[in-house]
Amino acid sequence: MTEGTAPRPAEPPSALPRPSVRERWARRPPGLSFLVGVGMLAVYLVAALSALVVFRSSLDQLPSTVAWVPLENPIGPSAVHPFGVMAGFGTDLFRAVWQATPWDLGIVAGILGIDVFLGFFLGAIAGLDEGGLVDALITFVGDSLGSIPTFVLAVVVFAGLLTVAPQTVGLPVFVAVFGIILWPTMARTVRERARIIAHQPYVEGARASGASSLRILVRHVMPNSLGPVLAQIPLDVAPVFFVLSAFPWYYNCQLPGGPHVPVPPGHLAPPPTPYLVPVLPYFSPLPSNAFPEWGFLLGFGTCEGFSFPGGFNYWWMYLFPLLAIVGLGVAIGLVCDGIERWRHFDR
Amino acid sequence: MSSSGSRDGSLGRSRAPPARGSPRPVLSGVARYAVQRLLLIPAQLVFVLLILYLVLDVPVSLTQNPPESLLRIDQGFYQMVFNLFTGNWGTASFVRYANGGGGPNPAEPIPWSWIFAYYIPPSIQLAVFALPIAAVLAYPVSLLAGWSRRPGVDAPARFVTLTGALLPVFVVGTLVLNALFLGYLGYFQDVPSQGLLPADFWFFNHGGYPSWILYQFATQPTGFPLVDALINHAWTVAAISFTKTLIQASVVAVAYVAIFFRHARSIARSVREEAYIVGARSRGISERTLLWRHAARAVAPSFLLVFALTIPEYLGVQFAVEVAFVDPGFGYLIFASLTGGVLSPLVPLVFLMAIVVLVWALVVDLIAIRLDPHGVAGR
Repeated sequence: MTEGTAPRPAEPPSALPRPSVRERWARRPPGLSFLVGVGMLAVYLVAALSALVVFRSSLDQLPSTVAWVPLENPIGPSAVHPFGVMAGFGTDLFRAVWQATPWDLGIVAGILGIDVFLGFFLGAIAGLDEGGLVDALITFVGDSLGSIPTFVLAVVVFAGLLTVAPQTVGLPVFVAVFGIILWPTMARTVRERARIIAHQPYVEGARASGASSLRILVRHVMPNSLGPVLAQIPLDVAPVFFVLSAFPWYYNCQLPGGPHVPVPPGHLAPPPTPYLVPVLPYFSPLPSNAFPEWGFLLGFGTCEGFSFPGGFNYWWMYLFPLLAIVGLGVAIGLVCDGIERWRHFDR
Repeated sequence: MSSSGSRDGSLGRSRAPPARGSPRPVLSGVARYAVQRLLLIPAQLVFVLLILYLVLDVPVSLTQNPPESLLRIDQGFYQMVFNLFTGNWGTASFVRYANGGGGPNPAEPIPWSWIFAYYIPPSIQLAVFALPIAAVLAYPVSLLAGWSRRPGVDAPARFVTLTGALLPVFVVGTLVLNALFLGYLGYFQDVPSQGLLPADFWFFNHGGYPSWILYQFATQPTGFPLVDALINHAWTVAAISFTKTLIQASVVAVAYVAIFFRHARSIARSVREEAYIVGARSRGISERTLLWRHAARAVAPSFLLVFALTIPEYLGVQFAVEVAFVDPGFGYLIFASLTGGVLSPLVPLVFLMAIVVLVWALVVDLIAIRLDPHGVAGR
């Protein structure tokens, strides 16, 4: 301390000094599952960045090879096409999954970012103000919105916005809408934890020593309510891809000749040709039917992959987009679980 | 941030206890809480309708050339609220064509409420089977995984359930459907999809549709396929309906358990560290007794709360399974409406869904309070 400056007040004595990050790391190194999760996320990031460099101007458009479009004798995985070929799109599936990586990472990051920001903040405020007007308001709005299944609300809201400005409403608006719609579940789980934290002796002590509500919220309630957020984040990945894949699946399979319903031998076996060109539902956030996106690939691939009843003939058409989606969710889950375990290293 | 809700002007400050001489409240804490929640439900429904009105009707009103497929609500907000609360849910003229001119008078448009009456019973039948299966699976699995300290139990359980939660349920449904197809066809001479009744070709091979089945899927007199088959002594149809319901319900249950598990496991884990459990363990009570006699009872209220919290997710899972198995239920109707661009039935459908979720959440909350009266409402 230099001479002439005011002396800093002495730190209050503490029975258990808070360990530093380095101490925590040294006393309990992250588990194997956390490292696996980080490694998987790193692979996704590398794939996304390399796709940005490799595909550059054609990143939003899947190339179509006319000879690969028909469903008869589609090309399966081989050395030339490691993931096979997606008939209908007429595109190499490895390239499609790779090209879709930056888009899907962006979609997931954007939605989860908005979801966590709103849900964490509002849930913590509601928990701290348990029984008060702010709590009642947040709970009322959250419970009301939460009473509608996410996918229905997301599609209805997006369809409404699409009607107003079809040219300007696209993927970014979808990301914003979905993030806003997801917050009630996050907020409710955070609120349950926050209201318990708000009654802890150390919070009462901080309050008695004159700490403001905002300080209590930011310094005590939010850091100690992080557990439900980490538990909820991987679960919120699922509805995103459900909406992006389920409606294209249903829409394409319902087209004339769609293979949606397995047909018994000798009964109403329509030719599978009319649905071969992928079609987007009218409320889809994707700009075109050649846009690389895992959910769309999965929805369409599931429809085509089960073209024949009782068989799994074209398994690659849904397996690889599915692995990309599940892999990302599992990676996020492993990282979140690892962080949560590491936060409670002394337990 | 407003703080007007607190008596002393700061968030989270403890409420002052009632004055000593104040009269005893007429209702107990639980009853007061129940009445408050019950009174709140209509307000929440109106709020949901307001959102739907803002996102469905206002945009179309603002648009000069709306797409033909988008049918606006075409009524004022107050009129819409009044109509929905009084059961006037509009009409659907296109159904006459879809059902080959069915209905009592094909010239008259059919009210949506009639159509819902056909579509809702199969969904209820499926839920009646799926929910107990989900409970039987979720309760012990979550409890065991949360309780166990061995990474060999918890880590695989976490991985499997997280993967299960991320798998889109329509993919799981389609996989199961295709895996079952040939075996089911060989045994029942029927296909495992196409609703909770035998497929149309099965009826054609057995003398055509009986008079108690309308439009090839709506059964009479109750609307529940299994019950109606039993009432009409159609034993084979009942057996097939039972089997199909069981298959679909199992898919719903497994997919839902994956969602339920992640919340429930952390609850079981926190109970493991409770003082009375640690104390009982130190007195030599076996782990099995601690788990199934003490922890299992202690986690029940929290599990119920998680169940209330995840009802919308449950509905989403069931809807997707209905679509995958081409089961003419509530979910199928919603998917068909959304993808077909026919938005007019969506408002009453969402209205009905919100009623179910809000009432069900209230019932579950009250049961949880009954089991564990230490919460806010129970005080």
